[in-house]
Amino acid sequence: MEGINLFPLYLSFRVALTATLFSLLIGLPAAYFLSRKRGKVVDLLDTFTNLPIVLPPTVLGYYLLVLLGRQSSIGKFLEDNFDIMIVFTPTGAVIAAAVVSIPYMIKSSKTAFHEVSEDYLNAARLLGRGELNIFCTIVVPIAWRGVAAGLTLSFVRALGDFGTTLMVSGSIPNKTMTMPIAIYDALQAGDKGMANILVLIMTTIAVVVLFTINSLERKMKKEVK
Amino acid sequence: MLEASFTKSLGDFTLKSSFKVEKGVMAILGSSGCGKSMTLKCIAGLFKPDGGEIHLNGRTLFSSDKRVNVLPRNRNIGYVFQNSALFPHMTVRKNIAYAAKGLRSQNISEIIEKMQLSGLENHYPYQLSGGQQQRAALARTLIREPELLMLDEPFSALDNHLKHLLELELLSIIRSNYNGIVLLVTHNIEEAYRLSDNIMVMDKGLNLQVSPKNELISKPANVAAARITGCKNFVDVEITGETENYHILRSGSLCMQAVKTGAAPDRRMIAGIRAHHIILFPPEDIRENVYNGTVLEKIEGVFSVTLILDCCGKTLRAEADKSHMPRLASCDGSTIKVHIPPQYIFLMEG
Repeated sequence: MEGINLFPLYLSFRVALTATLFSLLIGLPAAYFLSRKRGKVVDLLDTFTNLPIVLPPTVLGYYLLVLLGRQSSIGKFLEDNFDIMIVFTPTGAVIAAAVVSIPYMIKSSKTAFHEVSEDYLNAARLLGRGELNIFCTIVVPIAWRGVAAGLTLSFVRALGDFGTTLMVSGSIPNKTMTMPIAIYDALQAGDKGMANILVLIMTTIAVVVLFTINSLERKMKKEVK
Repeated sequence: MLEASFTKSLGDFTLKSSFKVEKGVMAILGSSGCGKSMTLKCIAGLFKPDGGEIHLNGRTLFSSDKRVNVLPRNRNIGYVFQNSALFPHMTVRKNIAYAAKGLRSQNISEIIEKMQLSGLENHYPYQLSGGQQQRAALARTLIREPELLMLDEPFSALDNHLKHLLELELLSIIRSNYNGIVLLVTHNIEEAYRLSDNIMVMDKGLNLQVSPKNELISKPANVAAARITGCKNFVDVEITGETENYHILRSGSLCMQAVKTGAAPDRRMIAGIRAHHIILFPPEDIRENVYNGTVLEKIEGVFSVTLILDCCGKTLRAEADKSHMPRLASCDGSTIKVHIPPQYIFLMEG
């Protein structure tokens, strides 16, 4: 058991937590917007946000490379002005993880926001509150379980991503090698002990997360009744 | 004073509302889907009218010409929703405190006591009865001292046997703690009559009549208003003559006298007669408007009897006190004397 390199574990958590933070910042307002508006454009946007779920991870990774690679205009701009490189860096891993996990954040929160009656919002409006204030004091507190479920789901999705991350940030040991990639790498190298430990860690996290989400959803249903 | 005059289209439904309220309680009466709630929501600013004006105590809340549309939060309007809309994640006290935020020297405990909510401050909405929920919602609204208070069918979610009590209780609380304008939406004429000073009748997006409540009952502006206020009998009549005090009306072989009110009517009108105004077994000394009515059907209610009568070829509905029951029992399917008091026949344009 000696010489187990825990760097992938550390990197994975760092990447997944940062990516979840981004999912929260982008996904929450997006979910609220999608839950309150109706129309063809909104439907289209809704479909678009679900795309990362159905697209093969490698396809998604390819798009990200095209969009953010050193040859692309965005990639060039970031490199020239801020000295930020995305491809083959941990930053790239964060972006890849965020893109694959945002849909889960949006989906779960959107359903929860949908359940918040328009009457509560109207009541708060007539009690003198602005929209942002209402979002923070009424909508999120009422829908928090759905938001929490979305947050957990997007965290595990970010933690477990393999294909997209591999495409964007590669598998440089001690730099961009996350846990799922390390498992593959260990197996390739015939290091079964290492693979077993990493697999055990990932499985434990998955079980805990599933349990949490289930109990959140059960309580949510109870509260609706 | 509230002055509103606006239009709003939603799909193939069009709302055209135009009215003025000075003070006191005005009921907005109409069947479901007639635009009552939408009227309130337009005034509150939750819906934007397509055009028109809304003024409250001299302040313009909405004007399509001047491009004014004050945000709901700045309108100073109180709104009590059908289902109370208390925030489910806050206690009664927190709900009220939420409304009181940013206001000067508001005493939350005082309003809790006034609204008879003492002891329930730390309860969550789901732990309250329907009546308590509405009182809490009222407290939350009144603490902001709104210039206009709107109640959107506040009793419809309550059990029937409690409704009556709670209505009176809630209204007496409102009358003793609030002296602005109150708009009360309801589909029940009884409720509207009991609780309001004036009634506005709405049908299919139009307001048909705005008048003091007794005037609405004695003289509805048109057939739709009469129907919504509970009138059951409508007879097409021809005005064949007049005496000093009466119009002479004729419809087939039915000839009636009706007390003159207001302007001279057209030749062809519709006469409205409320079911409970028809008198069964009138005293012998009454001569005018007395007919032989054949009892076609008898429907027994809890406290009254409804009769379907054939009167000179016209089918009329009469509602009578149950004290007539013994006499009615013996004359099933036969003919009885009925009297239509001339002062209760109202004429409407067809």
